[in-house]
Amino acid sequence: MAQNQPNFVATIDRITKEFPSGSDVIKVLHGVSLSIDYGKLTMLIGPSGCGKTTVLSILTGTLSATSGLVSVLGERLDKLTNNDLVRFRRRNIGFIFQQYNLIQTLSASENAAIALIADGVPWEDATAKSSRLLDQLGLGPHKNKMPRQLSGGQQQRVAIARALANDPALVVCDEPTAALDAHSGQAVMELLDTASHDPTRAVLVVTHDDRIFSFADRIIKMEDGRVIDDGLHLSTLREAH
Amino acid sequence: MKSMLGMVGIALKMLMGDPVKYFGLVFGIGFSTLLMSQQMSIFVGLLTWGANPVLDVRQAQVWVMDPRVKQADQGEPMSDQELYRVRSVEGVAWAVPYFRTAATLRTMQGNIVAITLIGVDNQSMVGLPDDNLASSVSAIRGRNAAILDKNTAHLIWDAGHDPIGEVVEINDNRIAIRGVATSLTNFTGFPTIYMKYTDAISVTPPQRNKLSFVLVGGEPGTDPEVLAKRISEVTGLKALTREQFARDGTTFIIENTGIPISFGAAIGLGVLVAIIISALTLAMFIAENQKNFGALKAIGVTNQQILVMVLSQALLVGFIGYGLGIGGTAAFLHFGQADPSLRGFKSLGEIVGGVGVLVAVIVVGSAVMSVQKVLRMDPAIVFRG
Repeated sequence: MAQNQPNFVATIDRITKEFPSGSDVIKVLHGVSLSIDYGKLTMLIGPSGCGKTTVLSILTGTLSATSGLVSVLGERLDKLTNNDLVRFRRRNIGFIFQQYNLIQTLSASENAAIALIADGVPWEDATAKSSRLLDQLGLGPHKNKMPRQLSGGQQQRVAIARALANDPALVVCDEPTAALDAHSGQAVMELLDTASHDPTRAVLVVTHDDRIFSFADRIIKMEDGRVIDDGLHLSTLREAH
Repeated sequence: MKSMLGMVGIALKMLMGDPVKYFGLVFGIGFSTLLMSQQMSIFVGLLTWGANPVLDVRQAQVWVMDPRVKQADQGEPMSDQELYRVRSVEGVAWAVPYFRTAATLRTMQGNIVAITLIGVDNQSMVGLPDDNLASSVSAIRGRNAAILDKNTAHLIWDAGHDPIGEVVEINDNRIAIRGVATSLTNFTGFPTIYMKYTDAISVTPPQRNKLSFVLVGGEPGTDPEVLAKRISEVTGLKALTREQFARDGTTFIIENTGIPISFGAAIGLGVLVAIIISALTLAMFIAENQKNFGALKAIGVTNQQILVMVLSQALLVGFIGYGLGIGGTAAFLHFGQADPSLRGFKSLGEIVGGVGVLVAVIVVGSAVMSVQKVLRMDPAIVFRG
């Protein structure tokens, strides 16, 4: 970690989120505060509907909080204009989705290069870089294949390459193993674990898949829109399960 | 700019990777372009038929007629004195009589056919079609000799029959066909027969007045419009320039036939097909890719980039579809020239350009409307199940 680098990639402070529902308002987050450390794989866990994905969305600026502060790399997301926020996300945050969200008509290397291409990197340079990443992730022989020609685990590895292509400081993963079998899930988590130990990067995984808890450096548990435990130990979780 | 080009590349790969929608859009736009441009070309061609009797007489700068006349096939006979009155107007270099009437022709084989009979000035022969003029002039020098429009000869005799030398009857007067010429197609579609003015009026039933029109050429440097106005003022007759009278022929068709409505309906149908196909297919394409667009927005693709992506998809299919449609119309009109009913029809630059603008407006409008939902979409949608 650089000498003057702050300890946290991202912090959220007392955020709340309300959604209108007809004439009512549903409050899904009740003053959540947490921070994400560099060089660690942090897991955000909790039952369905507890607000994990809402926290992830707010932390990445894809959803705005009703109140509270969100800061990533020292930048207050609520102070950025829409276009600046999009550019900020493109350059500093990598995304891995539950359903991979690969474009079916692009090859693996083209899919992995999207963030670079969107940032103005020439097509050939972008796909060359994404191809190198796919090589590192063990997908070298498959880089010219279309997503439908790849297994679920391979598609998620393409998504990891896409998330890492811009060398982001924060990588967020939404249920990355939910659609995978145990073996593929373990393989994907090993790659994320390796990526998280780069001291200039942090990985946040939202999950309720207890098979992958062992990869966490830190576990934050949520329930009913609140953080109920931060820094859970794996042994405690094993007892609970 | 580089990022836009890259995203356009991604957009086009997204589109072409879905062949059903890609070809659906291309052929849908192609079909509607064909429908619009072909129907417009036929419509304009039909309108031109209304102007052709006037346009066929290339030498006359001004047409003089009874004030009640609205178009060339509706001549109201004037006294021969009017010819001399017109000749006396300042700026008139020459003025000649022109006779135009409907008649019935009987062939020696017994065929009876409605024709347009034209009588041209005995000396100058002003009023004959320009092609092969010298031989046409010599062909009708003799008494009761006539020239026939060769493109309509098949309406009198079998196709391929050589009419030269045939003797026909008009009102019991024997007339020998001595030559052929090429006339522009007229709206009535009747075969056209040209004779000397004196011969033409002598083979038609007796009538006090027979002069249909006076054709006028102005002195060098005289503005035809000014000359026409002066002739009107001096003689009290209606005088129009060649262009004005030709336009009146097309206006007559627009105002007095159902052609604009029937062709307007077909052209409107083409526009509707283009709108429905492009709007629905693009909307379906975007709806099916909503999650992908959500992911792109989350990853960091801006709304402007998404708009450019969708516009590039729309413009590509619009361009290819338009090319196919215009190509189809060009082929139709090219091969249709062999058919007398399509002779002279062509796709004007205004039609090609106008349909292009229409297609561009339709596909861009459809794309902009379809993409609105994506532009307003919260990128967090991608995290929802």
